[in-house]
Amino acid sequence: MSPNSAAPLIENDTPRDAAAKRFAAVGWPGKSVEAFRFTPLDSLADRQILHGTASGNRSTKIIDNAVHIQISGGVYDAASSDDMPAGISLTTLQDDTEAQAALFADLPETHPVANLSFAQMSAGIQLSVSADAADDTTLVLDYADGSETSSAFPVIIVDMAPQTRLRLIENHHSAHGLSAPLVHIRMADKSELHHVRLQDEASHSDFVALSQIQAGANTKLNSFTVSKGAKLARCETHLHMLGEHADMSLSHIYLGADEQLLDITTRLNHAVPNCQSNQLIRGVLDDKARGVFQGMVRVAPDAQKTDGQQMSRALLLSRDAEADAKPELEIYADDVVCSHGATVGELDETHLFYLMSRGIPEAEARALLIEAFLIDGLDQIEDPTLSEFLTDAVRSWATDATAS
Amino acid sequence: MALLEIKDLRASIGDTEILHGINLTINSGEVHAIMGPNGSGKSTLSYVLSGRDGYEVTGGDILLDGESVLEMEADERARAGLFLAFQYPVELPGVSGMSFLRAAVNARLRDAGEEEVDQLAFVKMVRAEAKALGVSDEMLKRAVNVGFSGGEKKRYEILQMALLKPIMAVLDETDSGLDVDALKIVSEGVNALRGPERGMLVITHYQRLLSHIVPDFVHILAGGKIVKSGDKSLALEVEENGYADIANVA
Repeated sequence: MSPNSAAPLIENDTPRDAAAKRFAAVGWPGKSVEAFRFTPLDSLADRQILHGTASGNRSTKIIDNAVHIQISGGVYDAASSDDMPAGISLTTLQDDTEAQAALFADLPETHPVANLSFAQMSAGIQLSVSADAADDTTLVLDYADGSETSSAFPVIIVDMAPQTRLRLIENHHSAHGLSAPLVHIRMADKSELHHVRLQDEASHSDFVALSQIQAGANTKLNSFTVSKGAKLARCETHLHMLGEHADMSLSHIYLGADEQLLDITTRLNHAVPNCQSNQLIRGVLDDKARGVFQGMVRVAPDAQKTDGQQMSRALLLSRDAEADAKPELEIYADDVVCSHGATVGELDETHLFYLMSRGIPEAEARALLIEAFLIDGLDQIEDPTLSEFLTDAVRSWATDATAS
Repeated sequence: MALLEIKDLRASIGDTEILHGINLTINSGEVHAIMGPNGSGKSTLSYVLSGRDGYEVTGGDILLDGESVLEMEADERARAGLFLAFQYPVELPGVSGMSFLRAAVNARLRDAGEEEVDQLAFVKMVRAEAKALGVSDEMLKRAVNVGFSGGEKKRYEILQMALLKPIMAVLDETDSGLDVDALKIVSEGVNALRGPERGMLVITHYQRLLSHIVPDFVHILAGGKIVKSGDKSLALEVEENGYADIANVA
């Protein structure tokens, strides 16, 4: 992609044309752009933009009784997906100009993933959850297949009607050179979303995700991401609290080895009073891996009684591993409770010796301690089924990391 | 036969030699006590025996059941039958007590070529041992040593010893931090594990533990050497006259 091909916006450009121009005007940001200082993306300019094709395969089921939506090779594969249950509709976005315009209006103007993925839109899906949907519905967005030369730009909208409840799993295990999913979730008043995401892309992949969540009044969000795959992975989430008494939990674990670069970036916008947000970030880094956590919490001038908590801890298993944390609070209201903290440490030798003195081999002892470090993070997941899914992913990583 | 033979053992921490040539043989069925003042090298000896990193053996040998353990890591020594009850048991936040105990027992079984115990059978096994030591179900459910009182931590150490069935147990200041009642429960637990196939080394500063766990032999450690050995009456002598006299006489 050449950043020099910017053409002026013209009045009858479609939103997708406009987004393409916005991206072309600036390209991928390098480290001179503050938000990308730790994780410059200019190397992605070498990736070719080449949409993949669906393999026709359906991924293995991960959760019983879940509704499976297959994204294969970056495109939506209806034939390998389940029919939607009563109360939930799936529509495609590519020909829906109205839905496109609505999404475009909510995209940040200069974000590379927002613009490029919206413009490219290798898959476009809108999931609408109505009051008729069952309370215990579980949707699985399964991202699979692809190759080192393919790129994927899935755009997903989740629209939750008032008082609905949904479990949503995003399972990323594809093998594209570049995956740039754009997810936009609208939570109407009193809706409740339990969300987990596993980023376990192929080791040659670059993965840059942007998720936006708009939360109405009295909404409840319990979201957890485990990021462990890919060569470079950035999971960026923008959470806008737009109605009072929103109760938001947005937590992440990153697990890095070799020369991986794993970035967790969050921007929380407390736009109205009386909302609470809780963010817990745990990272474990081995070999020459790097971890980045950037957490911005903004509290608007009239967002009194805001409760915003953020805590990040990183565990380094090797001298060559590195963790960077950049918590940022921008508080314009005076009656708020906000805190943040960040620590970086190593495994405690005393703990390791105690376990080994009981006959537990060193690798197993290390795995037990890594799991213990992560367990209070995983405790944030309220839904037991979703918790089990991510706990298994974390446990297998800890076992692999200590076996070598 | 000799379960533990310590031969002219010299050990250092960094550039400082702490143990200056220790000789001690413990035969199966025997309970030996090592007494000594602060700084005599008691804890260093326990860590050197169990293979802690940072404690370097610079001379001599340690034989467990006839085999030198110097080249073995801490976990290998434990699986070979050595057990150290810690003076300060370590709190492990987030490590479930049951997973920890089961991992330890299964590591031993695996090494012995025996079948590992499944969760259900293991819970039964632990409950039976725990009851005798006054370790409650609630304690078993918690993370390892987290939120335990001093007495609870020591009982939990003895529970581990009961489950792991070592051939040689080293108890490092097991009486420290215990009130009279807790001391009694812990001592009863230890006494129940005395047997003809097992050796024990009880390390303590004070005589009081030795009136509960009565040793066959008592050794006085001072300045990194054993300066005097005798039977249990030696412990009473220390109680009466303090360490200064004995250390000087030697």
